[in-house]
Amino acid sequence: MSQTPAVVVRDLHVRFGDVEAVSGVDLTADSGQATALLGRNGAGKSTTMKVLAGVVPPTAGEVTVAGHDAATDALGVKRVVGYCPDVGGLVPRATPWEHLQLSARLRRMDDWEERGRDLLERFELGDVAHRVVGGFSHGMSRRLSVVLAALHEPTVLLLDEPFDGVDPLGVEATLEVVADARARGACVLLSTHLRDLALEACGTAVVLRGGNRVAAMQAGELTGEAYRALLD
Amino acid sequence: MRSSTDTGWLGAARDTGHLVAFRARTVRRRGASLAGAVVVLGLTAGFAIAPNSFDLGGSGSSALDQAVAALEANLGGAFLGVLLLAISAAMGSGGGRELLSRSEVAIHPVSPVTEHLGALLLAPLNLAWLVQMWGLLTVTSLVTPTDRLLGAQLVVLAWVLAATAIGQAVGWAAEGVRRTTDGVVVVRVVAGVVVVLVAGLHLAGTLGPVARSLPTTWLAETAQTSSWPVAVLVLLVLAVVGVVVGARPAAWALGLPPREELRVQSGVHEARPVPEPRWGSPDRALLHRLDRGSVWRSVGMRRGLMVLGIGPGLVALVAGLQWSSVMLLPGLTASGAALLFGVNAWCLDGKGMVWRETLPVSAADVFDVRTLVVAECMAMVSGVTIVLALLRNGMPPLVVGAAVLSCWLVVLVQVLAIVMTWSVRSPYGVDLSSPRATPAPHASMAAYAGKLSLVTTLTGMVFTTISTGPWAWLPPAVAVPFLAYSTWKLRRTRRRWLAPAERARVVLTVAAV
Repeated sequence: MSQTPAVVVRDLHVRFGDVEAVSGVDLTADSGQATALLGRNGAGKSTTMKVLAGVVPPTAGEVTVAGHDAATDALGVKRVVGYCPDVGGLVPRATPWEHLQLSARLRRMDDWEERGRDLLERFELGDVAHRVVGGFSHGMSRRLSVVLAALHEPTVLLLDEPFDGVDPLGVEATLEVVADARARGACVLLSTHLRDLALEACGTAVVLRGGNRVAAMQAGELTGEAYRALLD
Repeated sequence: MRSSTDTGWLGAARDTGHLVAFRARTVRRRGASLAGAVVVLGLTAGFAIAPNSFDLGGSGSSALDQAVAALEANLGGAFLGVLLLAISAAMGSGGGRELLSRSEVAIHPVSPVTEHLGALLLAPLNLAWLVQMWGLLTVTSLVTPTDRLLGAQLVVLAWVLAATAIGQAVGWAAEGVRRTTDGVVVVRVVAGVVVVLVAGLHLAGTLGPVARSLPTTWLAETAQTSSWPVAVLVLLVLAVVGVVVGARPAAWALGLPPREELRVQSGVHEARPVPEPRWGSPDRALLHRLDRGSVWRSVGMRRGLMVLGIGPGLVALVAGLQWSSVMLLPGLTASGAALLFGVNAWCLDGKGMVWRETLPVSAADVFDVRTLVVAECMAMVSGVTIVLALLRNGMPPLVVGAAVLSCWLVVLVQVLAIVMTWSVRSPYGVDLSSPRATPAPHASMAAYAGKLSLVTTLTGMVFTTISTGPWAWLPPAVAVPFLAYSTWKLRRTRRRWLAPAERARVVLTVAAV
């Protein structure tokens, strides 16, 4: 018996005023799988991620995340999703620990401190757990965003450019988080411009162009040449 | 070799022009901005001329005569108030407002002199600055014979220019001191000593005589005589000297690291347990704590709230403002607090707003908590002003007390409804890490300041008028329709926020993604 995909996107359209950021994307992603979302700048990857995270409502189309309709049950979506946004994503005058505390409290997690500490240590943020994030470097902010996305062991993990400006140790820690999520049966969607890392982390790949899906394939089939051809 | 930032005064003036032009091109609603500028100029002309046409001598009211005599006697104090405000505003904003944010300007060769000139140009885009100038023009117009009005008002304008230039120079110097080792402590101690000194003089009953013995009294008197050109000349020279001299401390201050901001960024804030409130949900309590932290951990907002809380109250003490005038202050201080961040309330989250929006919490709770935090800040600073006015004037008669409290409540809800509406309707992505930053572009800030000052001043005037009557029940009764309208407006904005598409627009704009 086939299992219902954790993420189902059908004919998704997102419009901001006169600009159509996403125009007819179709996408499915299964539990226990990691899917890479690739494409050029402005292809619609981040907007699609924001819709899946419940931040932006779809203008048209069907979006279901772990059984929750993103258009009508955004709160339900937020409960099951862990999201690392592409830019920033941190409240500038709050500490990492306060971010974790709020996230855990709102998700009714009781024993979160140990996991929070462990994640901060894995991402080498333990020493700065009580400093405001406004003074963090770009790479530190990215690492903390991944920690926040992973804290509650979400059913669907959305990582938008998690490797951007991150040092090799941070990259390794992020790959571990992806592997852990897959191992416990979570669905992972990872958006990045770094094809090699995408292939290392993910089993399947979806390429977007101009707000549309132009290809979906096994990650191993996405050679450099094939990827370039899909981008042009 | 000359530094690329050492371009002299001519180059600095030219660079300032380029920066102003750049900012002007980014104004979203040019028509509205132009209309706002015309309104401000119109109001300035109106305040300078219209009160002079009131026939106060023929009123036959001894109370009115006494009030005019009191205004005339305290005109020197009002002149002094403008200077104090210019100094405190410049100190509060880390030396002065910036034409381009620190991160935007970092890649350009902009000299400290350009920064100084930019800060001077932006000084008038400040609610307190405008209100002080309008107040001084109004009082001068009221107490000056018609044939001397032009000269007197030119003295006022020259004084405002000179006071702004001097205030800016002192502000840069204070910022320079603040950026040295232990400088923050030094500035706080000096400010504390000044406050204690003023309070001591007041308690000793010598504050009024001391204020009247200052040169500002001579200035106020000379303005109404045929010697006014001498005063204008002296003041213009003083203004030019202030501008030129101010460049030195500006260069010094801007060459030092912003110690206080860096300390906040690197400071440790130990974890506290999840709040367990007696009433209300723990979720809201946690959101409340986070939002409050975003305000009080910001150097600029913390400093601004302190200046707004103490500054107007001190002016009320020094200038000897009666309850009728004090009634206008809560609205103005509340507006000032709202202008620190409330006009773009979501900017507290900065780029973190996207993450905040992914949290599983109801949008209504988020709106209510943010509204509460804005309201708290406004209530706190305006409350301090009222307490200081109480110290100066003692307990007011029942009807005046009812009017003050009603007016306070009305302007709080009024300003809250207005700024939350702006926050949802016109959000901006800004970085408030520097105390020199503003929560919205300068043109918008000027429009916001103009509207808030107008609305709250008119409201204050309504309650001032009512307070002269014998009915203590009237002020609360009049407050009801004001409160009903503002509450309706606030609820309408809340409904707008609850719409997912509308909220997404705000989130993406504030996070600048």
